[in-house]
Amino acid sequence: MSLALGIMIVLITAIIAALAFFLISTIFALVKINKGLTVVIGSVGEIIGKTAPINGVLDAINSNLVAGRDVLENLFLKKAGPDAGGLVESVFPGEGAKFLQRVGRSGPVVNTGVVYTRGVGILASLGRGAPIGAAHAKGPAVRDPKYATTAAATLYPRPGGARARPKSPVVGTDSPLQYQSSATPGVRPHPREGVDVGAPASGLDPTTGRIVIRQTEHQAAAPLDQAQASPPAAGGEDGGSSRPARLDVTGKRPWER
Amino acid sequence: MIWLWIMNVILVVSAVLLIALLRGVLGAAKSIVPRVDAIAGVAAAASRDLDAVVVLLTTQNYISQIVGSLANYGGSLDVALPDA
Repeated sequence: MSLALGIMIVLITAIIAALAFFLISTIFALVKINKGLTVVIGSVGEIIGKTAPINGVLDAINSNLVAGRDVLENLFLKKAGPDAGGLVESVFPGEGAKFLQRVGRSGPVVNTGVVYTRGVGILASLGRGAPIGAAHAKGPAVRDPKYATTAAATLYPRPGGARARPKSPVVGTDSPLQYQSSATPGVRPHPREGVDVGAPASGLDPTTGRIVIRQTEHQAAAPLDQAQASPPAAGGEDGGSSRPARLDVTGKRPWER
Repeated sequence: MIWLWIMNVILVVSAVLLIALLRGVLGAAKSIVPRVDAIAGVAAAASRDLDAVVVLLTTQNYISQIVGSLANYGGSLDVALPDA
């Protein structure tokens, strides 16, 4: 047997051995895979069995929830009226249009929360039927002038308009009206503005020693007329000289003794 | 005689190529085994997690009762509140 033939036989033998080794190893690996897949198939079967009734249960839950939602939405639509979509939009942004679509309504959805606060919008809609949501959300605020606070304020008119409020008086050194202390209580140290300077001032009468309060002509006009109409003083030391409007130290008219 | 040597060379080249291919097949088969084991573990855990599905039946019962109460509440509101 030649050398070349011997080498060929060895090579063929080595190739057959290698084939056998690798194929047998592959067979063992495939057997392991088969066993693993058997375990997986068992677990998947359990999953399928456990999830089988979920569809029915979830369908029943969904049908119940949809029924409850329909009840509430129909009630809300009945009570809130055309503002229902806007109220839903104010609470759940983006849901107003879906709400209108579900209830079979159409039209623009105005977020009432943009115009009114939530509580005001709901109370206005439920209580007064105010036309909230009548304009676009980006437009000016829509308020019913019939129910505005300005209209309510006109129920209590006050000088200067409905919004006018009486101003608090300014006291102290910053007061625009400053008073001076007088030597005699009840007697002005200076005549008021508009009073004739030449008129006799009130004060102590040096002849009688009494305190007299002298009035201006226009102040004394009405009492003078009344004094002329009423019985004049019966007489006395100052009955003819003193004016009827004078008061003596006791605060009485000359004829009131 | 020369043909025998040529055949020997061809056999050597074929043996090397065959061994390389078989090594690739064996490596791929062995790499599948741990992944299948991992999948088996995950499937078993998922199966255990689904044991709580039975609780959905209780949830369904509760929701049914809640919807009934909701309907009664809506009926009361319908009477209490004026229509728009």
